[in-house]
Amino acid sequence: MTERRDRAGVPARRVGEEVVGGRQTGDHAAALSVKASDAGSLRFTVLPPKELKELSARLGWSLNEPELEAIRAEFKKVGREPTRGEIETIAQTWSEHCKHKTFNGPVRYSDGKKSRLFKSLFNETIVKATKELGKPWCLSVFKDNAGIVQFGRSGRWALAVKVETHNHPCAVEPYGGAETGIGGVIRDVLGAGLGAKPVLNTDTFCLARPDYAGALPGGALHPLRTLRGVIAGVRDYGNRMGIPTAGGGLWFDDDYRLNPLVFCGTAGLMPSWAVRKDVKPGDLIVAVGGPTGRDGLHGATFSSATLEGEADRQAVQIGHPLNEKRVLDALMAARDRRLYRGVTDCGAGGFSSAVGELAQDCGAKVALEKAPLKCSDLAPWEIWLSEAQERMVLAVPPKNYPELEKLFLAEGTGCSVLGEFTNTGRLVVSHKGAPVADLDMEFLHDGMPRVERRAVWGLVPKPKSRPCGARKGPADRGRLGAILIRMLGHLNVCSREWLIRQYDHEVQSGTVIKPLQGMRHDGPGDACVIWPVAATGEWADQAGFALGHGLNPSYGRLDPYWMALCCADEALRNLLCVGADITKASFLDNFCWASPEVPEQLGGLVRAALGCHDAAKGYGVPFISGKDSLYNQSRDEKGRDLAIPGTLLITAVAPVNDITHSLTMDFKGPGNSLFLVGVTKDETGGSLLSQMEGCSGEVPKPDPKAAARAFKAVSGTISKKLILSAHDLSEGGLGVAVAEMAFSGEFGASLELDQVLTSPAMLADETILFSESPSRVLLEVSPKDDLAFMRAMKGVPVRRIGSTTANPLIKVSGQDGSVVLETLLVELKTAWQHTLPEAMR
Amino acid sequence: MSVIAAGTTYLVEVRLRPEFTDAAGAAALAQIQAAGFSAARQVRVSTVYEICGPLNQAHVQQAAKELLSDGVTHEFKVLNAPPVLDGMNHWRVEVWLKSTVTDSVGESVRRAIAELGLPEPEAVRCGSVYRILGRTTKNVLERTVRRTLANPIVHTFTVTEAYD
Repeated sequence: MTERRDRAGVPARRVGEEVVGGRQTGDHAAALSVKASDAGSLRFTVLPPKELKELSARLGWSLNEPELEAIRAEFKKVGREPTRGEIETIAQTWSEHCKHKTFNGPVRYSDGKKSRLFKSLFNETIVKATKELGKPWCLSVFKDNAGIVQFGRSGRWALAVKVETHNHPCAVEPYGGAETGIGGVIRDVLGAGLGAKPVLNTDTFCLARPDYAGALPGGALHPLRTLRGVIAGVRDYGNRMGIPTAGGGLWFDDDYRLNPLVFCGTAGLMPSWAVRKDVKPGDLIVAVGGPTGRDGLHGATFSSATLEGEADRQAVQIGHPLNEKRVLDALMAARDRRLYRGVTDCGAGGFSSAVGELAQDCGAKVALEKAPLKCSDLAPWEIWLSEAQERMVLAVPPKNYPELEKLFLAEGTGCSVLGEFTNTGRLVVSHKGAPVADLDMEFLHDGMPRVERRAVWGLVPKPKSRPCGARKGPADRGRLGAILIRMLGHLNVCSREWLIRQYDHEVQSGTVIKPLQGMRHDGPGDACVIWPVAATGEWADQAGFALGHGLNPSYGRLDPYWMALCCADEALRNLLCVGADITKASFLDNFCWASPEVPEQLGGLVRAALGCHDAAKGYGVPFISGKDSLYNQSRDEKGRDLAIPGTLLITAVAPVNDITHSLTMDFKGPGNSLFLVGVTKDETGGSLLSQMEGCSGEVPKPDPKAAARAFKAVSGTISKKLILSAHDLSEGGLGVAVAEMAFSGEFGASLELDQVLTSPAMLADETILFSESPSRVLLEVSPKDDLAFMRAMKGVPVRRIGSTTANPLIKVSGQDGSVVLETLLVELKTAWQHTLPEAMR
Repeated sequence: MSVIAAGTTYLVEVRLRPEFTDAAGAAALAQIQAAGFSAARQVRVSTVYEICGPLNQAHVQQAAKELLSDGVTHEFKVLNAPPVLDGMNHWRVEVWLKSTVTDSVGESVRRAIAELGLPEPEAVRCGSVYRILGRTTKNVLERTVRRTLANPIVHTFTVTEAYD
């Protein structure tokens, strides 16, 4: 006990200085700071508010004033000083990362005309929609580490899905950040219910263009380097864990240059009996996985802070996929023998948040000296809060422990008892008999003061540029072709093969619909379809699931409300196009926003959350899980705040009842009819056309109810096997969709624009071809099935707009009958394929 | 006082035989050229393992041959000290993870050496060596490396002029 020293006499500010110094100057100073910071008393309750705030900032707690006051009041009531361990535990638990203060807190919102007070933004938008929909196949929503829905028709299986962000760490060390991001989300799925076996990983990145040539402030990495690093991180971790990475996306916008976004997702299968945790007092608290070191302290509070020059470098780690694989294998074996009653992963906050979560309804007693350590000089509070990767905490009935220990040791991974769950309602932590923390669970989880935030949404001023499609004069024959070629070569549309090929998307051999499709296995798939036989072992059961994404921050610049609806619409259409049963689809939301302390930013976030609510209700699709990452803004090279564009990633997952009915997007033969479902409107706001031509227009506005009806009809025709290929219309509209289907299948297409159903009736050819009106899909149908198809689509806006051809070119006739576009497939495909490899050179 | 085990430290460098195309080297070359060292002409990458523990020279030779290298495409050397020779525009850049950062490859190698039946090392660290050919100054190269091959937040690196 030589490292414990009573420093009560030293002014607290002095303690803080030493710690900060330790962070910056390396190991030796850090060791010194440990001794200092492990002081028995911080004189917390008597410090003046200003000094208290300084202390919080110096020790990296990211606690705000009302929170500091609440802690002070609590300890005045208890009648003693808090220990460092207690304040650290509270700071972790109350961090933006763990408690989502903004989303769960009260928000006063006004949009100029109306104002509204949300008691909890999250509960009154996203959760409310899910509750009202009341889908019986949602087994666990918003409570656990991942959303859990029923899988297959046998009722024996459940599917757990989670998507996480790991933005701040990826900004400073892309490789390690992406690795620990994917590692963390895999553990979320392992820690959902009693553990699900991961069968699919996804990754979505939002970054500045790789050829960004502008200035960057000191410490910011070039986007090309960030992109290389995050791809390598996801690749190495996913491939080494033996989990296919088969879904995701990539979006480039220069406003992400200081705050890149990295979304990692995992889906896993578990037996339906394993959906519920049931921790009982008397169960042992068992830590499994790697040893604990001084890694990544303050990761959770780090996410409550904006990222500037000197970030807290200890929050950065490198992952160890083989250790996690060992934990996975041992855990699945232990689950199937029903050796434990609860499990959760050590994410941000380490043991403190994992034990705190499991013991939420009972209480826990922890003796930290039993935790295996990487280095011996860790202070007790550091052991308690370390975010060393690849660790999980289990609740194990004492009689099962010997068998459990044998299983984990056989896999070569650590297993030790830290303490036991109690029924006292208190979290009691000690180290070699000395108290580290003794907290009331209720105060810890519900004692956080709620700060009302102000949100304002003002309409974006009308842009001054000319409206899209308003060019006068005779159509120049080559112009639309040239635009189409440039669109296909645009970074947000071009082929992602360079990146996808680095990921193993085939391992576990259940990837039925792969990310790359078509004649030469290089066309862009809409969504992946997974047959999780590696997890279920049921070879006769052909049930699978599909997972797709929707993301478009460009629409969000005009109105986040419509962005949310468009993203939901696109995610659903992606599932529809691979043959999924979208009546049983579920959504996951991932919000990445700038500082919620700026009312205009928060206003956008509120708009997006309202959009999510209306999307869920309109499409009849519940949200089952989600995550938000706020404070994505930093000072740029001139010292101005650069906020990211408000970004919402909607992930949709739906069952595929029979994987043999699933569908790809490439044309299957010549002479087939092409049907366009949905109405094309003058909606070019935020579109690719508007970005390339510098014109403006209305943001696309989906009508969820009508769209849901159309999707259901299309879904019916797919299960009747009437459809040969299907593709959704997104960035670049009809033009890009038909080009992608054509060059992937290596058949041409001939389209007649006067057949396209438009509203209003008269639109420019350019608008019809490139408008991004939502809820539209392009379908290829064999001529013999035309009638049956039209009959099945009764009451849905659909038109036959052309046919596929053996001639390898796209030919489009304008509304006046003249040919407005005629381009060889090889030109289109070359443009589409060249961009990324050239940018990544 | 605890007794410090008197383990020996070995450096094993595993590299592709010169007749094989070095894809990682080509990628690193493109990166350092784009980052300002335009005179770079060639980069070859090899992996270096620092093995510390109660092993003798023969043990390390066996681990290098059976575990760390591939007999067809690789050659390896057990070094006692990094070579420092007259450079003649040849540079040797070593990139290591900081001691505070988990080295998952090194950790796996440590276990694997034990599983070969050899004495278990106390620690293994894994780093990369870039052998770069091109006319430049040490300062320019260090700046380039900081922008491409190493991230000072997790890595330490050394640049030496060294033929071989």
